[in-house]
Amino acid sequence: MKSVMSNKLVISLYVLPALALILLLIYIPIVLTGYYGLTDWNGIGQAKFIGLENYINLVKDKMFWESAWHSLLLGIFSTISLIGYLILSLILASKIKGANILRKIYLVPMLLSSVAIAQLWAKIFDPSNGMINRLLMMFGVDNPPLWLADSKLVLYALFIPIVWQYAGFYIIIFYAALKNIPEELIEAAKIDGANPFQIAYRIKIPLISGVIKVMVILAIVGSLKYFDLIFVLTGGGPNHASEVMASYMYTEAFTKYNFGYGSAIGFGLLVICLIMTWLIQKLLSSKEDF
Amino acid sequence: MLKKKTISLLVAVLMLAAAALTGCSSSDSSADASKDGKKVIKFMHLWPEGSSNAQFSIVKNIIGDYEKQHPNIKIETEILGPDQYRDKLKVLASSNELPDIGMTWSDGFIQPYVKGNMLEPLDDIADSQLKDMFIPGVKESYAVNGKTYGLPLELNISYVFYNKEIFKKYNIEVPKTYSEFVSAVKTLKSNGVIPATVGAKDGWPASFWFMYLADRIGGPKILTDVIHGKAKMTDPSIVKAAQEIQNLVDMGAFVKGSSALSNEDAKGYFMNEKAAMFLTATWELPNYTTSPDVKQEFKDKIGYFKFPTYEGGKGTDINSYVGGPGVGLFVAKDSKVKKESKDFVGYLVKEWGKKSVTDAGVIPATKVDTASLKLSPMYVEILKDLSSASNVTTYFDTQSSPAVSELHHDLMTALFGKQVTPKEFAKQQADALAKEQK
Amino acid sequence: MSNVAYDLQTKTTVPNSYKTSSTLGKRIGFGILYLILGIIAVVQIYPLIWLFLFSLKTNQEVFGMSPFSFPHDPQWGNYAKAWTQGHINLYFFNSVLYTVIAVVLTVILASFVTFAVTRMSWKLSGLVLGLFMAGYMIPLHSTLIPLFSFFKTLHLINNPLSIILSYVAFNLPITIMILSGFYRTLPREIEEAAVMDGCSIHRIFFQITLPMTMPVLSTTIIINMIYNWNEFVFVNTFISSDKWKTITVGVNNFVGQYLTDWGAIGATLIISIIPVLIAFFILSDRIVEGIAAGSVKG
Repeated sequence: MKSVMSNKLVISLYVLPALALILLLIYIPIVLTGYYGLTDWNGIGQAKFIGLENYINLVKDKMFWESAWHSLLLGIFSTISLIGYLILSLILASKIKGANILRKIYLVPMLLSSVAIAQLWAKIFDPSNGMINRLLMMFGVDNPPLWLADSKLVLYALFIPIVWQYAGFYIIIFYAALKNIPEELIEAAKIDGANPFQIAYRIKIPLISGVIKVMVILAIVGSLKYFDLIFVLTGGGPNHASEVMASYMYTEAFTKYNFGYGSAIGFGLLVICLIMTWLIQKLLSSKEDF
Repeated sequence: MLKKKTISLLVAVLMLAAAALTGCSSSDSSADASKDGKKVIKFMHLWPEGSSNAQFSIVKNIIGDYEKQHPNIKIETEILGPDQYRDKLKVLASSNELPDIGMTWSDGFIQPYVKGNMLEPLDDIADSQLKDMFIPGVKESYAVNGKTYGLPLELNISYVFYNKEIFKKYNIEVPKTYSEFVSAVKTLKSNGVIPATVGAKDGWPASFWFMYLADRIGGPKILTDVIHGKAKMTDPSIVKAAQEIQNLVDMGAFVKGSSALSNEDAKGYFMNEKAAMFLTATWELPNYTTSPDVKQEFKDKIGYFKFPTYEGGKGTDINSYVGGPGVGLFVAKDSKVKKESKDFVGYLVKEWGKKSVTDAGVIPATKVDTASLKLSPMYVEILKDLSSASNVTTYFDTQSSPAVSELHHDLMTALFGKQVTPKEFAKQQADALAKEQK
Repeated sequence: MSNVAYDLQTKTTVPNSYKTSSTLGKRIGFGILYLILGIIAVVQIYPLIWLFLFSLKTNQEVFGMSPFSFPHDPQWGNYAKAWTQGHINLYFFNSVLYTVIAVVLTVILASFVTFAVTRMSWKLSGLVLGLFMAGYMIPLHSTLIPLFSFFKTLHLINNPLSIILSYVAFNLPITIMILSGFYRTLPREIEEAAVMDGCSIHRIFFQITLPMTMPVLSTTIIINMIYNWNEFVFVNTFISSDKWKTITVGVNNFVGQYLTDWGAIGATLIISIIPVLIAFFILSDRIVEGIAAGSVKG
């Protein structure tokens, strides 16, 4: 048994191709990003080595921490929304009528590219022509909020399409996980007189806890590096009210030609992701012991 | 058993496919300078067939003509949308892989490329092939330390476009002075019409308002002086211009939530006759004149006026404009076909100038002979304005460095959204400029 | 087959046990549940309908009217424009090619790694999994310039291989993370029995583990497929010849310097969504079927 399952040759054969790919295509860029962060470089011509200056500035940069906080808020928001997706998946995976078609419909937004989604939501949020405000005005709200133009609201308004966009992603995974649970376990519980809620809470959720944990990590890390819709819809504005780490990085590196500083931001983002993942691992693994 | 076989078969097929892909394209990349004995010029531009069909076709025809005249030359184009173009140019520059010929913007955009020693001076062709062809002062926007690194193709000027029918309905005269303009705004507002639309999210459309107010209040040289360190952004007249913008916002002069609208979003209000005025540049002209996608009855309703003068302001001449060259062409310093590329650039600029107004509705940076062309009246008028312009201030964001330009855009959005005061608006930019001029 | 019988059984027995509790209350409960599910379904399907209407509008209509409105004079020409001026006919095949190759490679390589890391015992397995996870954390735009110079040294610029390799590398981390969550829940008994029987490790992987993970494989295939299909930053950066570009680039063909043709963009998006939609419907049934097959065997 042991010898078969710890055959070094087989392990290398299985792991090395993929490992080589990510080392070459992901880790070289990561290392280089870290290095560019040590330079003063506009991306054109010679880079000037300036040591830790960019990183010291980064730690002192209020804008960076603000954007990190916005990203983290998105992470928290996404994690909370996982509960909703889990409940939906539980319903869909139970044998209710129409679950099959509903499940497919729920995943449709996931197929759309961000270009389309951004256009749609720009129309929905438009202060005078938009869907939301037309509805609000129909119900007699005279001065409906300006949504994306309101620096206090914009971040939360943006969370809605982002969370909605990813609904399909999480539902499809939770659904597959739930369908993976051996039927016998649930039958046994039913015979013992457990109601659907008890089955969900006591049996199904604990059984897919490994998947849930991975999804929490994906939700947080995915949010921390999130870019697409925010960049298209608000570009981080107004007045940086919806700036997130990735949009800040992009603006510095590509719009303002501060490639050195932009790289430092990218590296900072990576470090924050690592810390958060480590924290989640700690938090969730201690819970599992119960 | 079967599964194992299918999978290994699949893997084998994939490997073959991968090998085939590498194989067939390796010949591709090695053909850097010559192909069947022909010299290949790589030309990257940002006029895709889909969105800029007219420009695309003109360029395509010019390339065709040139290749016919020069059988030993092949011009390969790569065409990207403008945002992708900027990003890609940046990545290419970082690896010193610029195309032989590409498009660039003036002043602030071109500077890092020149300083990074990426571009070739083009004075020789500007002074020979293209001698006396440019509208004076335009190609200078692409000059760094006295050498010209880009040859402009476009020239844009900003005007206030307005809906004549709406103005007539409420008995509004075209405003010549700012107070007349303000009263027009008030009339429109009280009648439930959106006086003006602006996509302040994008920053630059909002900046048109600011630049004109600065020009009218502080005089035509003020913004250029700020860039060159001869005046300060915190100059009282600039702060006053910013203040006037917020006064307009308070008055309800602009479409609601403008700071979240892109230029495209904002334009919709004007095109659908919900807003009476739209301060934009001459690149919109096809929509009001020749574009087949817009209804004639709408086109007939659209007129334009020059930004009104400000009572007591230093900029007393209504014929002072803000505007600027759009894109121009560069030749890469490391190009292996430099001579040929330069020659083609000269040819392209010249031919483009002959066709751009009539075929694409784009005002070229070269002189246009209006007498010999059949143009819609609005073009004729505007080309006349151009020749009698007392001053054209290049767009502030175009003149400044990429970092200051971005800050300016952010602050414009914030000014329209009232997230900054006029003083902070001026001070933040003054600080950024001071840091750069150090 | 056996599952269907099982279903029928549970369906007839379970409601009986609830009959004692209020049937009316349960019905209302179900009514509300379906109402909520229905509303969500409308919200989720609406964008597709909106996009379709959008694709038939003129620019003027796109910006002037509410997103609900119907086009006055449907612009079917937008589709013709998308096909010819957007060069979709040219890009379509490339999109399919890159997506299929990249998805297959990603899923196979990721399965190998996940199997080795979660099922086999070796010292560095935790570290390797960590390496893969950290690979998910780098923001895309940080990697562009380093990747470009890397591919340049390999002479892979303007070569489809650069796209395929990037897709595989950048999707491996998330695929492995998803797979690992599932692998940990799989029972080890079958594999152990197989080892006792003297099965080779490759046979265990291909004939036991891989089929058992069919549902999650379909899931990751769907996710990978969508990601690759909609990707355009890499294509824009690494590819310069028209003949190697993909359908998402076709969308950008309609974004102009000063004017953007929104209707044609909508049409391009609709055309580009059809193949994924079909593939997705087929694959999404595999999620369930895979299980059924697995449970029959078990």
